Amino acid sequence: MARDVWRIGPHGQNSVTDDSLGARAANFAGVAARLRRLDATMLVLLVFIAVLAFLVLNPILRLIVSSLQETDTGRFTLDNYRAAYGSLRHLEALANSLELGVGVSLLVTCFAVPIAWAVSRTDMPGKAFVRLTVFAAFVTPPYLGAIGWILLAGPNSGWLNKVWMALTGATHGIFNVYSMTGLILVIAVTSFPYTFVFTSSALDLVSSEMEDAANILGARTLRTTLRVTLPLVMPAIIGGIIISFLEAIALFGAPALIALPARFNVVSTQLWQFFEYPVRVEEAAAFAMPLLVITVLMFWLQRRILGRRGYTSVTGKGGERRMIALGPWRWVMLAYALVVGALSVFLPMLVLFQAAFSKAWGRGFSFDNLTLHNFYYLLFEQTQAKQTILNTFVYAAVTAFAAISLSLAIAYVVNRKLVPWSNVLAFLCMAPFVIPGVVLAIGFYAAYASPPLALYGTATILILGFTTRFLPIAYTSSAAGLRSINPEMEEAVRILGGSRFLAIRKVLIPLLKKSLAGAWILVFIPATRELSSAIFLVGPHTRVISVMLFDLSEEGNFEVLAALGVILLLATVAIAVIGTKIIGRDFMLRRNS
Amino acid sequence: MFRIRRRNFILGGSALLVAGAGRKALAQAATSMTSHEKALYEAAKKENGQLTWYTAQSDDITAQALGRSFESTYPGLKVDVLRTTAQVAYQRITQEIKASSIQCDVFSTTDIGHAVALKAKGDFEKYVPDNSGKVLDVYKNYDPDGYYFVTSAGMIGIGYNTTKVKEADAPKNWTDLLDPKWNNLIALGHPAFSGYVGTWALTMRNQYGWQFFEKLAKNNPRIGRSINDTVTMLNAGESEIAGSGPAGTLLESAQKGNPLAMVYPTDGTVLIIAPSGIMKGCKHPSGARLFMEFLMSEGASRIWVEHFNETIRPEVSAPKGAKSAKDVKTIHPTVEQITKGIPEIIKQWRETFGV
Repeated sequence: MARDVWRIGPHGQNSVTDDSLGARAANFAGVAARLRRLDATMLVLLVFIAVLAFLVLNPILRLIVSSLQETDTGRFTLDNYRAAYGSLRHLEALANSLELGVGVSLLVTCFAVPIAWAVSRTDMPGKAFVRLTVFAAFVTPPYLGAIGWILLAGPNSGWLNKVWMALTGATHGIFNVYSMTGLILVIAVTSFPYTFVFTSSALDLVSSEMEDAANILGARTLRTTLRVTLPLVMPAIIGGIIISFLEAIALFGAPALIALPARFNVVSTQLWQFFEYPVRVEEAAAFAMPLLVITVLMFWLQRRILGRRGYTSVTGKGGERRMIALGPWRWVMLAYALVVGALSVFLPMLVLFQAAFSKAWGRGFSFDNLTLHNFYYLLFEQTQAKQTILNTFVYAAVTAFAAISLSLAIAYVVNRKLVPWSNVLAFLCMAPFVIPGVVLAIGFYAAYASPPLALYGTATILILGFTTRFLPIAYTSSAAGLRSINPEMEEAVRILGGSRFLAIRKVLIPLLKKSLAGAWILVFIPATRELSSAIFLVGPHTRVISVMLFDLSEEGNFEVLAALGVILLLATVAIAVIGTKIIGRDFMLRRNS
Repeated sequence: MFRIRRRNFILGGSALLVAGAGRKALAQAATSMTSHEKALYEAAKKENGQLTWYTAQSDDITAQALGRSFESTYPGLKVDVLRTTAQVAYQRITQEIKASSIQCDVFSTTDIGHAVALKAKGDFEKYVPDNSGKVLDVYKNYDPDGYYFVTSAGMIGIGYNTTKVKEADAPKNWTDLLDPKWNNLIALGHPAFSGYVGTWALTMRNQYGWQFFEKLAKNNPRIGRSINDTVTMLNAGESEIAGSGPAGTLLESAQKGNPLAMVYPTDGTVLIIAPSGIMKGCKHPSGARLFMEFLMSEGASRIWVEHFNETIRPEVSAPKGAKSAKDVKTIHPTVEQITKGIPEIIKQWRETFGV
């Protein structure tokens, strides 16, 4: 599943190239014939297509249109662009975001690629534990990681600085989380799992034959790895770089916590400022445009770089795979993996749990500082917390179901070529992937908050927003699952007189059950912690944990914050573990099929 | 592992009461209501008993305590308490107005300019609470037309961490904050979030001109969002001086055993007058009216005082060990200055501090 993420839709490899003109014409004629019949299946499919236009196309169009409109009259104007880019501070925010994106994607590559290689290709010990650590980093929301790192590396009060001052007798700490470096680190340690998953699943497919060839010709392990193995999985690595770049420039929570005290703005925090009074949705839309342009540019660049070369060893066909014996170096690799694990999981989690169970986190680890009151406060004294926790998991679950049903239907239409231009559908499904959450939320707000739909403050707008946001993940999983199933099986049903629905219900769904359950968890986890798009769409009764954490963080009440974070993490992990038990495999770290 | 907290004790106690002599106790509560209150209470119950309160007037703990007190005074009603900074609350409410979907019933801000603007645009519902005549004279009649009323007041001084700063060394007045010895050690809130900080910054500008902040910026203060964040930073040892120290949050935190002390600057403690109003077109108009009565009641003032804020009712006296606004020299801008000045302050702040 992961391999497809770096190609927008499945049309990159298969569909476009092998469709000759004649085949397309024939296909079109067939479609026309089918359209005349217009059976119930077709109607349902058309409904799905309408839904997609509603979810993806309209909000983006509204965003672009409103960026060109006068606030009150709706007349065409370029003033929003002038206002959005006419200020030096706004331009600085843009430059800061670029720096952040580049920094994060480089650091992520340094973290993820060596570990992925060690886990997939070598005899490094403790692999199961390392995978578990990566999983833990995956479920940790970036803003929670940021809070952990504020407790660790606050310039005067952070644990690391306190330890440093105690050891050296220095009067000042050496780490300062309130800096660009701090922000880059915090985002990198929570987003490296994406690159890890891409790279390791690609490495899992590379057979040892090519490495053997290099070895026979005299190359050592290091040279072989750098010259043969890693270049073969370059598409995966570049995919990872792009994703972490986009993730970094689109995040809202971690920058809001760190960049403000550090005295700089990034695009997402600047976008938030446009929503301060007076609300300037149109200016926000104009300011969001570079994010869209950058994203499109990155994917175009990726195609240019990867387009003409062959990476055919990644065929999925067998070939023997042996683990490289590293000798004593295997311990070095393990140590490296553990250092990354410490930065991303062990240290932040340690201080978060400490804060969650303490009266005042600054007082440190002692029994008289221990309390359950933070949890008691949340669950019994706070009027909102219980509802908020419930909302979070209900919305995430519904989102996961909605995203998967929709994407499965569309993947089916695309894969079986039931309508002309089906690739457009695939593209629309993948498009939200390149739209930062904040931008998507602004589009949704502009399109659906006001009458006639008047969805502001309803659960519906949140679920719709989340569904759109995570549609690409659901779609890649569904498409990958579908491609592994030969249509002949359904055709057998149809030849024997069964309807398409029957074929889908009795053949397709049972075959896909496991990969759909895996996809469900893959959507569910990010949906439980989504902040960027939620922040503009929540109302007082539809708050989710991430937004509540953000509101609580204004006062810097880290004990209660940490307790709420612990509740979020434990519940998410519990659901993921139950899900994994049900589908009987590791949903995230192995390939589908 | 629980400390027996006063609040839990009261909660448990009232649970016992309800369980035991429940009906009698409830009946008593009902008889102490005025007929106007009773009519509002009955009407509120018919509006499905729900109520949404956006408030920036206190920290989350105090806001939740007020919400629970309302619920126990009027059994069957439920109030959703959303505590954020004033500008975030205002951002949400303007988003709701723009989308023509009012979710909030009672809006309590710390930037009185919000109330002026909401009234001017016709977004507030007129309602004169019975209790509005019973508050201290200084808090009466801020809006003679009856669209919003002062429901709380608080003071801003200078706070410091007593383990790091000796009393003799602590700043005595506002300009002491400019002393280079506090380089990197001052915590501030942000006027684009906190209404308290906005009004504080405006007062400073009135007194000393904007140069005050240009000099303060040289001391590289740590800028958070809420004014209450400064107290957290002191407790954590991240900062030593709360340059804008909210008296209520500071003193309550000190009472819990944190090493904190409060300075009432010789050149004047900043007094914040914080208003509330009912949103026009809100879903629970009767509940909202009842809640306005409650905010101006003696019971609410008792809770404010328990949490070291000002009382607005003459029957309730200032918290023990804390000074009341009438005991110290206070300074504050006029309503007109706030309405016009805070947007300017936010702009100037962004230019001087970069965020």
